[in-house]
Amino acid sequence: MMAALLVLALGAAPTVPGAPDAKALLRDSDLRRGGFEKGVTWTLTVESTEEGATTTRSMLVRARDVDALAETLAPPRHKGETFLFNDRTLWFLKPGLRRPIAISARQRLQGEASNGDVASTNYVRDYEGTVAGDEAVDGEPAWRLDLVARTKDVTYDRIRYWISKQRRLALKAEFLTVGGDLFKTATFQYGNRVRVPGGEEIEFISAMTIRDAMGEGGVTVLRYSTPRPEAHAPSLFNVNNVVR
Amino acid sequence: MTGAWKLAFRNLRRHRRRNLVTGLAVAFGYAGLAILFGYGEYAERLLRTSSVYMQHRGHLAVYAKDGLRRAEAKPSAYALPPETQEKIVGALRADPRVELVGRYLLGGGIAGNGCKSFPIRTVGLEPDVEPRIVGHREMIDLWGADGVVPLAGRAFFDAPGVETPIALAPRLARYLEKDRAVSAAAAPPGAPGALDCDAPDIVGRLSGEPFVQLGARTQDGSFGAIEGQAVGIFRASSTEEAKTGVYAPLEVFQRLFDTDRVTYVAAYLRDHRELAAFERDLAARLREAGVEASIHRFDDPVANPFFAGTMAFVGGMVFFIVILVANVVAFSVLNAMTLAAIERSREMGTLRSLGFTRGQLRGLFLREAALLTALAVAAGAAVAVGAAALVRAVDFRFEPPGSGTPVQLHVMPSAGALAGSALFFLVLTLAATFVAVRRKAKARVAALVAEVAA
Repeated sequence: MMAALLVLALGAAPTVPGAPDAKALLRDSDLRRGGFEKGVTWTLTVESTEEGATTTRSMLVRARDVDALAETLAPPRHKGETFLFNDRTLWFLKPGLRRPIAISARQRLQGEASNGDVASTNYVRDYEGTVAGDEAVDGEPAWRLDLVARTKDVTYDRIRYWISKQRRLALKAEFLTVGGDLFKTATFQYGNRVRVPGGEEIEFISAMTIRDAMGEGGVTVLRYSTPRPEAHAPSLFNVNNVVR
Repeated sequence: MTGAWKLAFRNLRRHRRRNLVTGLAVAFGYAGLAILFGYGEYAERLLRTSSVYMQHRGHLAVYAKDGLRRAEAKPSAYALPPETQEKIVGALRADPRVELVGRYLLGGGIAGNGCKSFPIRTVGLEPDVEPRIVGHREMIDLWGADGVVPLAGRAFFDAPGVETPIALAPRLARYLEKDRAVSAAAAPPGAPGALDCDAPDIVGRLSGEPFVQLGARTQDGSFGAIEGQAVGIFRASSTEEAKTGVYAPLEVFQRLFDTDRVTYVAAYLRDHRELAAFERDLAARLREAGVEASIHRFDDPVANPFFAGTMAFVGGMVFFIVILVANVVAFSVLNAMTLAAIERSREMGTLRSLGFTRGQLRGLFLREAALLTALAVAAGAAVAVGAAALVRAVDFRFEPPGSGTPVQLHVMPSAGALAGSALFFLVLTLAATFVAVRRKAKARVAALVAEVAA
């Protein structure tokens, strides 16, 4: 109800003069965060620091459109643990479990990172976006978008999202509760390059730094390495095949 | 019996009808109060037993400093590490007032059946202590021997050969479709793998196997999971627990949360009346041992606001009704004694002229009131005990607010409540009588006789 009202309110809000279509901006920025139609693979390292203690986990992430499969590679005691994103359903599997567990994208994976942060981003499908402003992020001109979740099973209820005007990729995000309270912030770096199926080489995310905004001071860095477009068969993301 | 008491007794008999009415007012007032106190004592005992044994709070629980508030959110800093546990357990076991000591690990997470997941609240318990807590005489006194056994299947501590036994709360078992799976008649489990959750026979498949997947955030902040085998459905101590509770051996949940810590250590006393002194001594002993800890009694408003709030409500209600009953009885006695004093003016005048002092006159009326109260209290006690027995025989069962398990209503007042109420009524009737006859006793003899003559 609250989300619907927010969507209506944002829909009625005046757009910024000269602003591009929010959907087009989100589609382009999603591509640079793994939203490949046929598939993409990368290795992800999640490094979280809380009260001086650092924890690291690495995962092999294979994504295709709205699905993703993230297998834990290290540390050894978490090896074999798998997160399967089937559209909006998220399963957790590990050796020794007879059945997968349905989990939430909002649940914490590690440190400040939620389970949903691991997979490719599909904000164009999951959020209703409105260009709400025109601001610079670290000197780079950007559009500020207000995103409101279309459904309850996405990772965040509301996001303030800054997308570079020139490069059309996300520079910064503020994650808000449904009531509008800020609880996490994220910044993005694009040190990777990948060639998309059309032949064009694009910048690809290399790090997402998530900071707690509630005063606990936790920081989690998701590092993306060796990204490569790969055509993944849809069956790869079938929960029955993953369990076997 | 002295002459004054004999005279008082004779006067009671002479004014039988009026005294019967007054006595009935006192008797029923007394019976009402005794039953009310019986209910108050029952409510206190029910809540105390539920808090101490069913909710595993113990008579007092020892947490790490600030652990009550923060141990579940940040167990790495606010739960008790093994060496501290040992010190606390040692200090508790050394005290002869302690009957049992239990270590507990609380946490939150999710439980899944292969299709859906539900939020859970886990309670890790010591399998060698739990049977003694569940089967404690205080529990059996209130819930009966049948009321402390699992609702279905077995208790988690009564499942030899099961590697990861868990017990589910009733509603959670239904949500997970495991309410039939815990019984021995359940079908053998299917092959491991994902389920077709849209298949028409999915409910049958889910209820045919006892396995439940449990997931939670581990102490190091990552996500952990284990598989439990549901062996039974336990009796929940609250409505919330009925929807979310999962019990398992401490070691199972330590594995799930990847920790060797516990949330708190609870002490169960032989006699709860020694709690205040025990708490003082324990605090001193822990300080001496260098343990920084927070001690919370079962009736601590911060640790157990439900108990404190409900008892405050019950206390307020009892107080209000006592005031009401006391007023009705006091005015009935005052009215009856005033009438008696007026009607018996000539007798009072005659007694005064025979040499009775004013004090002796008042004493006579007070003796009459005391005798009337004693008889009425005896009758009232019989009514109260009879009513309590009737309530017990009717076997009226109800689910107390916040509780997930029905209990039998008892209103049997204790000997203390009966004696206390009797004393209260005696003081009340004597005071009312004194007020009623004081002025008449002061009047002159001639005026007393003349008043009647007029």
